[in-house]
Amino acid sequence: MPPIGKTFKKIADKLVLLKDTSELMIDLAYSSLLFNSQELAEEVHVLEELVDKLHTEFELLVLSSGFKPEESKDFLGLIRLGVVTEKIADAAAEIAGVVLRGLGTHPVLRLVIEEAEETVTQARVSEKSLLVRKTLRDAKIPEETGMWVLALRRGKNWLRPKPETVIEAGDALIASGYAEGVKDLKRLASGSPSKQSRLAL
Amino acid sequence: MKNLSELMIDLAYSAALFNSRVLAEEVLELEKRVDTLAYLLDMIAMLAVRRAEDAEDLVGISMVAAAADKISDAAADITALVLRGIGVHPILREAFKGMEEMLTRVEFKPTSILIGKKLGELELAARIGVDIIAIHRGEKWIVNPSHDEVMVENDVLIARGASIGVKKLEGLADGTLKEFE
Repeated sequence: MPPIGKTFKKIADKLVLLKDTSELMIDLAYSSLLFNSQELAEEVHVLEELVDKLHTEFELLVLSSGFKPEESKDFLGLIRLGVVTEKIADAAAEIAGVVLRGLGTHPVLRLVIEEAEETVTQARVSEKSLLVRKTLRDAKIPEETGMWVLALRRGKNWLRPKPETVIEAGDALIASGYAEGVKDLKRLASGSPSKQSRLAL
Repeated sequence: MKNLSELMIDLAYSAALFNSRVLAEEVLELEKRVDTLAYLLDMIAMLAVRRAEDAEDLVGISMVAAAADKISDAAADITALVLRGIGVHPILREAFKGMEEMLTRVEFKPTSILIGKKLGELELAARIGVDIIAIHRGEKWIVNPSHDEVMVENDVLIARGASIGVKKLEGLADGTLKEFE
């Protein structure tokens, strides 16, 4: 492993952000279809602009990193990967565009998403839930339920989940994962007992 | 199409990360399948239209299908890096360690408690939040394995999940971890 310099670190961080954001966008775009949610669809469009901006910054970073001629292949690879994340973000924006134009209400589309192996669901956090006043990091929702939180809705606002986001009673969690996890998530959010013991082998 | 195109992204990044030509070719195979599905869907949609309202309903479907196709094209672009020998800089590996969800490659030791079990009964997705993308068994690749697939020793798994889940899977596979919790 060659020493990772400051510039390299920056390039790597930017690529991680691009990949994560583009994949979050796919999930959010399909969620916007499922809930026929204009707000989520608009969120995807906001993220699309963010990805465009990040992508330009990423390319500038790579180009100004002063690589040697023999390294040019490696750096071409990085540039291409950046282009791919941008393409994925565009595709997500197109899906969200279907919702924004009001074309997303066809029942077949909902069927497609609900039947797909990974599904998207919404769970409201009740006052009794163990999740209340916990940060997402401490709530360990993916470990407990296999579901990945895509977004939180608090009143009229959408929050992008961060490890330090504190969950409040009344929040709606939008999460994706396998169908088996949906029940676990709803139980956890509603505050019904007996979830720990089931998880042991 | 939605499933296939998302699976392809994971597979394609795995191919780049582990520099695997076989995996890359597998992605291209899937890309052809998504292309065919996109044609079929468009044809069905065209046949289904009888009135203007139908067309309005169905244009949404065909746009979503086109987007899924675009995602699978993007995955195919990643594999071109492997197949044309362009490769990626070692910082890619570094970058992948920092992902929210990471990709991993684990080998099953004979002492692993998972051996002889069906993927369906293991419920890896629900228990540790890890998603199995492909199994490499001998010369064969099993992409998107079914619930009935039984784990055999020396299987190599390509999986995706949050880092805690991935570490658990690695422990379970090499036999150092004997239970889920």
